[in-house]
Amino acid sequence: MALLIPVLLLYGLSCALYLAFLVAPRDGLARLARVALVLGLLAHTADIGVRCVHGLHPVATAQEAVSFAAWLLVGAYLVISLRYRSVVVGGFVAPVALVGMVLARLSPSAPAAVPPGGLSTIGRIHITLSMIGVAMFALAAAVAVIYLVSESQLKAKKIGILQQRGLPLATLDALGHRCITLGFPVFTIAIVTGAVWVAQLHVAGAALRPEYSISMMTWLAFGALLLARAAAGWQGRRAAWLTLAGFGGALAVVLIYLMRSVAG
Amino acid sequence: MEFVVVGLSYRTAPLAVRERLAFAPAELEKALRQLVDLPHVEEALLISTCNRVEVYAAARAPESGLAELRSFLGSARSVDGEALARSLYEHAGEAAVRHVFRVACALDSMVIGEPQILGQVKEAYGAAVRVGTARSWLCRCLERAFTVAKRVRSETRIAEGAASVSSVAVDLAQSIFGELGGRIVLLVGAGKMGGLAARRLRAAGAAEVLVVNRTHERALELAREVDGKARPWDDLEGLLAVVDVAITSTGASEPILSAARMAQVVKRRKHRPLFLIDIAVPRDVDAQAAKLEGVFLYDVDDLERVVADNLAARRKEAEAAERIVSEEVRLFGAWLRAQGVTPTIKELRAHAEAIVRAELERTLPALDERSHAKVQAMANAIVNKLLHAPLLALRHDEALTAAVRKLFDLAGEKEPAPEQPAPLATAKKEPP
Repeated sequence: MALLIPVLLLYGLSCALYLAFLVAPRDGLARLARVALVLGLLAHTADIGVRCVHGLHPVATAQEAVSFAAWLLVGAYLVISLRYRSVVVGGFVAPVALVGMVLARLSPSAPAAVPPGGLSTIGRIHITLSMIGVAMFALAAAVAVIYLVSESQLKAKKIGILQQRGLPLATLDALGHRCITLGFPVFTIAIVTGAVWVAQLHVAGAALRPEYSISMMTWLAFGALLLARAAAGWQGRRAAWLTLAGFGGALAVVLIYLMRSVAG
Repeated sequence: MEFVVVGLSYRTAPLAVRERLAFAPAELEKALRQLVDLPHVEEALLISTCNRVEVYAAARAPESGLAELRSFLGSARSVDGEALARSLYEHAGEAAVRHVFRVACALDSMVIGEPQILGQVKEAYGAAVRVGTARSWLCRCLERAFTVAKRVRSETRIAEGAASVSSVAVDLAQSIFGELGGRIVLLVGAGKMGGLAARRLRAAGAAEVLVVNRTHERALELAREVDGKARPWDDLEGLLAVVDVAITSTGASEPILSAARMAQVVKRRKHRPLFLIDIAVPRDVDAQAAKLEGVFLYDVDDLERVVADNLAARRKEAEAAERIVSEEVRLFGAWLRAQGVTPTIKELRAHAEAIVRAELERTLPALDERSHAKVQAMANAIVNKLLHAPLLALRHDEALTAAVRKLFDLAGEKEPAPEQPAPLATAKKEPP
């Protein structure tokens, strides 16, 4: 718990600095925002590590899993930012990570959140892979939002910071695609392991639970997107909207688990 | 020695006057030598661009120096004296330093923040260093001006946002496609602006420029001009289906690309974005085509508006740049004053110490070592206490320097010779 405050403070500071950059784009602000985000990630890493040492696996509960996904998201963004001048993307990633951490650590956890005897191995694998997929989809969604805003501004001939300081449309499109091509195979294995896990648990009426069908629809959305890109040359606006729809599904599943974990 | 500036620019003089006063590169050396031959001019630098002709100089006396520079500019060229007098501006001291800083930062340019002027000033400076008319005084000021210009560029957004229609077209193409390598540009029609935009896109990395025109001979001619390839007019639709950027600038009185025709093109493009630049007046592309998926349609007005917005943003950034310049002028002034005062302080101390030493030797030569040290310490203490207030006053008031030198009868040169700063890389080059 002691590490939570620095994590929240640093992510919050990073958010504020990215926001300030969007208002007054000075390079110094972008650098500071990135430094705050890196420090936040380090504190976050330490936080997860300490919990592991105390026997709380990073994906033991829905809350832990959300924190883990936020950690992955920030890490993936920082890796991307090494190659792309993607300050504006950071302006989306930092708030998402902050909200994720608040949800993960400040929501009350139900007494029965951790199943007795802990998670089975396949359960851990399933949740870990799911969170990797969700983090990659979240990144793709952040990029898709920026794409849609920037594209509509370019169409409306309103040139602003997204064009002057952001990434070109083609790069945003390619970046989103790359995130999905990385996230999709991982998510596919997560779906399969999830099905096996559910079968092992013998949950009554499993097929009717909404999260299972939403997960399947999410998987289908991203699968369809990859197919449409390859076969029909889908890109840009359509791809961005489908990315957002897919991520919406993934987010809904995570929120359902989180709410159940909070409500017990 | 005082730093002075005399000159004229687009602000004060019409082109008719500027072009008559301009110095060709070949005339520069002779003019610089003539300048330093003037009785009150110690060092000189001459900058001559299409927008300004200015002389920067170190003058032994500012008033006489400025008068000599004015008459030099008048006599060097057969310019109507009255028109010239109306056009000339002059600055001395801190105002001159501020002027040079502002010029180097492109704050005094017609297009604020434009990149050429800094290079032109560096060139003029390099020439003056080579000829030997820019030495310690001008070097200090100009080197500092270049540092200030660099600082302004990195701390403000004064140079951001394209300032011309064709460079806005390049910027927008890059906002859509990123690097232009591999992208194909189609030029439709023979308008002058269209050709310019195509050339700029090619220079920015576009892989190829294709040219179509109603008369194929004209297309061939244009293709030579823009380093592209001519294609038959009938292929227009097929070409539009494959290129990434299309520039239309025909003289047609009706749109040659209707919305319906563009819809057909877009269907064939399979979602790939198309940047359509319609520079023709009247327009070549139906404005409705802007609604099609993946089509970014900009006409002349749109591009001009972006230019205007960018220039407005630059003017706003210029306020921040002016603050930086003011700060740097102040710092530079303080530094110069310190440079001027320090030698006097040193000399005054040396002078006093010499007196102490001489008097000690003269009146108490037989003293043993311990007593000698004691007496010397006392004498030094008296001198230090006596000099404390004058030295302090000197540090804060440069004007007292001359008075102190006179009062204490300090010899030595009147003008402190500052260390020569390292010349610029460009200045090191030997003339060919």
